[in-house]
Amino acid sequence: SSSNEKPADYVYFERTTAGFSDDAIPKAKTAQLKLEHFYKVAVDAAIERNQRRVELERKLAADTTMSEERKQRQLQQLGKRESAFLRLRRTKLGLDDFRTVKVIGKGAFGEVRVVQKTDTGKIYAMKTLRKDEMLKKDQLAHVRAERDVLAESNSPWVVQLYYSFQDSAYLYLIMEFLPGGDLMTMLIKYDTFSEDVTRFYIAECVLAIEAVHQLGFIHRDIKPDNILIDKDGHIKLSDFGLSTGFHKQHDSSYYQRLLDSANGVASPTTAARNSVMVNAINLTMSSKDQIATWKANRRKLAYSTVGTPDYIAPEIFLQKGYGNECDWWSLGAIMFECLVGYPPFCSESTHETYHKIIQWQNYLMFPDDVHLSREAEDLIRRLITSPDRRLAVEQIKHHPFFYGVNWTGIRNIEAPFIPRLRSITDTSYFPTDELEQVPDEPVGADTTGASKDLAFLGYTFKRFTISSQAF
Amino acid sequence: TPTTPNHPKPLYLCSPFVEAALVKGNFKHIVAQPKYADVMEWVAVNILDFYQNLNQFYGVLAECCTQQSCPTMTAGPTLNYTWINQDRKSVQLPAPTYIDYVMTWVQNQLDDENEFPTKSGRDFPQNFPSRAKHIYRQLLRVFAHLYHAHYPQILHLRSEPHFNSLFAHFLAFGKEYDLLDVKDIKGQQGAAVGIGALWERWKEMGILEA
Ligand SMILES: Nc1ncnc2c1ncn2[C@@H]1O[C@H](COP(=O)(O)OP(=O)(O)OP(=O)(O)O)[C@@H](O)[C@H]1O
Repeated sequence: SSSNEKPADYVYFERTTAGFSDDAIPKAKTAQLKLEHFYKVAVDAAIERNQRRVELERKLAADTTMSEERKQRQLQQLGKRESAFLRLRRTKLGLDDFRTVKVIGKGAFGEVRVVQKTDTGKIYAMKTLRKDEMLKKDQLAHVRAERDVLAESNSPWVVQLYYSFQDSAYLYLIMEFLPGGDLMTMLIKYDTFSEDVTRFYIAECVLAIEAVHQLGFIHRDIKPDNILIDKDGHIKLSDFGLSTGFHKQHDSSYYQRLLDSANGVASPTTAARNSVMVNAINLTMSSKDQIATWKANRRKLAYSTVGTPDYIAPEIFLQKGYGNECDWWSLGAIMFECLVGYPPFCSESTHETYHKIIQWQNYLMFPDDVHLSREAEDLIRRLITSPDRRLAVEQIKHHPFFYGVNWTGIRNIEAPFIPRLRSITDTSYFPTDELEQVPDEPVGADTTGASKDLAFLGYTFKRFTISSQAF
Repeated sequence: TPTTPNHPKPLYLCSPFVEAALVKGNFKHIVAQPKYADVMEWVAVNILDFYQNLNQFYGVLAECCTQQSCPTMTAGPTLNYTWINQDRKSVQLPAPTYIDYVMTWVQNQLDDENEFPTKSGRDFPQNFPSRAKHIYRQLLRVFAHLYHAHYPQILHLRSEPHFNSLFAHFLAFGKEYDLLDVKDIKGQQGAAVGIGALWERWKEMGILEA
């Protein structure tokens, strides 16, 4: 019989949306997408759960020295953690569960606060992101990427994300709090570092960037503001706002299409994602004075939605495709700044910076009045160069500038600056007095958002591992 | 009646709709209790998920389920559900009212820290299994009504693969943890009617375990 023969009870059904309200079609689409997402997550969770169990069972079976009783106890412990995780999934954490200790930072789409979870007393950093601003600026895919990088990683080089939730106006990310501030603040304070100090931070950055690349991500926006200092003075990377993963969910146009299809709109081609807007700031590099102006503006620029292009590789602007080499360019620019006191292409305006980066061959200059070792200058020149000539991670590690660096143990050695903290909520390493017009408590919202929430599908995140630590 | 008169067999039992599915393959893996974990936590989180997913779809169909279209809470020619009111009397309610009562009641249960504890260190109440069964039975009735009275609308909205999979998952889970009240979908004399027949059909097709 032919394969297209229909069963006896085959029914042809004329589908029509006539008779439904205007809302019904997008609502149905939303329900479908949510359910698709639900099953994808359910299947992944089942697989992961299974892996955790099989791994432990295998480890215990291979251990001939452990008593049966202890093995049983370990399995019970796993069961407890799994149960706690299931419970956490039912737990609705919200703004009410956290109390603001202090506002410590400002970003393009919201603020960063030190918060305390009221029931456990534990301290976290909470980042708020305004949904409408992100939609306007087409930043959704970026934040998605940020969440995914933070969520997927257990790396000591990446700031840990513990939990995220949302209301109709904001996304909230609950992260570990790094009390040492960031490298930008440190550079503003110290102007320049010695080569030894620079070696330490740049070496740690090499390992951190390598870790991000190993997760399958390109950061694309490595700059001193995103290099955070932990309580022991070691660094971690944050702010994956611009990083691109390889997941299709990170494609902004994908969300736009989702939204449009949900609203029954035919999708227009979305604006290029990386268009860099121009925001003039005053700066001339000829006098010390004006470098100071640049520095003063530096923090303002960090707070603006445009951000600073100072550390971005030229191939990103050229939009002809790029790989993870672009992050090594950024590292070269940061290293230059650590030793010289300002980044290599800083200018009066972001537009000029952009121009200089594209024409880097003509503009990369080492000032006469700052002494750099041959090795330092050579490494910078091998990072701030065309992608095909730029050093790769192994070559970087073997560069003479890093002579003597212990690449496997650097996180355990004593850092050059160790924050002196008086309490677990000490915020003296943050420019808190410069943060104006930021409400002490996040406002939150409960106006029921319409279909735009769809774009934030899947943002709510709960980390498995923390549930055992009574989050 | 809401079913098309020239198809005496309900559409959801007909090809190709009866085969439509978002999730292909067996539900065994996502229904299985995580080994070593507490079964009550597992049932609780699944009930929450079923409630939310069903609510999402009911939110879409609510405009088609009115006092006029559905003056009683029916799920088949011989299946009619009654609500037990505060005086313990069983009363007939229009389907939208009935479903609204069910969804509100379930939501309240889920939010009740005594019934569904979320704080660490708090245990489930002794009667949790019977509570869970009670909730499950009411959710089953909502599914049954939507299949019986609103399947054409589900088709118009192209949601049948999704809705079928959600319901098949619900049945598979209910069977595994003994939460289903079979007589609720079997009608009189235990004859498979309405979605009871769908269940039988999915078993024959291997979508659900026999
Ligand atoms: N986990 C954290 N612990 C301590 N401080 C943090 C943490 N996360 C962020 N900060 C502080 O807040 C500042 C702003 O954070 P972040 O750069 O992530 O914001 P943003 O909104 O992504 O800004 P932008 O996208 O403009 O870089 C950081 O420079 C840092 O000083």
